Amino acid sequence: MARKPHPKAEIEAALKYAEEQGWRIDIGGSHAWGKMYCPYNDGSCRCGEFCIASIWSTPRNAENHARQIRRVVNNCTSHRGRIHAPGEKS
Amino acid sequence: MTDYEFTLKFSLPNPEAEPDQYIEALAAAGCDDALIGIGQSGRIALDFTRTAGSAFGAISSALRDVRRAIPKAVLVEASPDFVGLTDVADIAGFTRQNMRKLMIGNMSTFPVAVHEGKPALWHLATILTWLNEQQQRAVDGALLEVATTNMALNIAKETRKLPGAILPKKLASLFA
Repeated sequence: MARKPHPKAEIEAALKYAEEQGWRIDIGGSHAWGKMYCPYNDGSCRCGEFCIASIWSTPRNAENHARQIRRVVNNCTSHRGRIHAPGEKS
Repeated sequence: MTDYEFTLKFSLPNPEAEPDQYIEALAAAGCDDALIGIGQSGRIALDFTRTAGSAFGAISSALRDVRRAIPKAVLVEASPDFVGLTDVADIAGFTRQNMRKLMIGNMSTFPVAVHEGKPALWHLATILTWLNEQQQRAVDGALLEVATTNMALNIAKETRKLPGAILPKKLASLFA
């Protein structure tokens, strides 16, 4: 997967975690760096609004933004009982 | 200053509009401390981590920022507020079964639900306060503050539907 890495290391790590859980990352936007897409984006999806989430290129606080990304992934996969790695629980 | 975590969900004036334009407007209005969700058409949700002196300060400034970016956005819900037993168990670090036991064993003092259906729903603030005061359990202060503010906000939002209802000034200003 030749995806351009996010300039902030913490956020890139959170995006890699999302990808490991099956999320797709698309790059594009101006203030927004890209978007993340839930692998179950269908009628049975449990993440609701956050099954498509926008990622900032320069969020106010990179650490918090990374935590927000992990939270979305965990809220989704924990309901599915599919957590592979011990992610952060908010 | 404290970091407050909360989610505001809005319905959009034009569900057909391209969400990217809203995202750019939200960035310009200072919502770069929120993760923005656009997975449901006609809705936009913002998961904020906002640093402020109080939960009310954090949530009211976030509301103002969103209104500035999307003037016709209508607040659907502020969360965390409405919770079922499973949510409460997750937040308090119990199993659902233990949370249920705690409720059934203390029916006389346990907060009354907002809705007693399947699932039953409570205001989170009432349960956190109960856990703290009746069960002597430690409760996250920032979370309790957020839950209390969200409860006031969600109730105020519904109260505005009552003909002739007058909101306390502090809450009315949030809908101005």
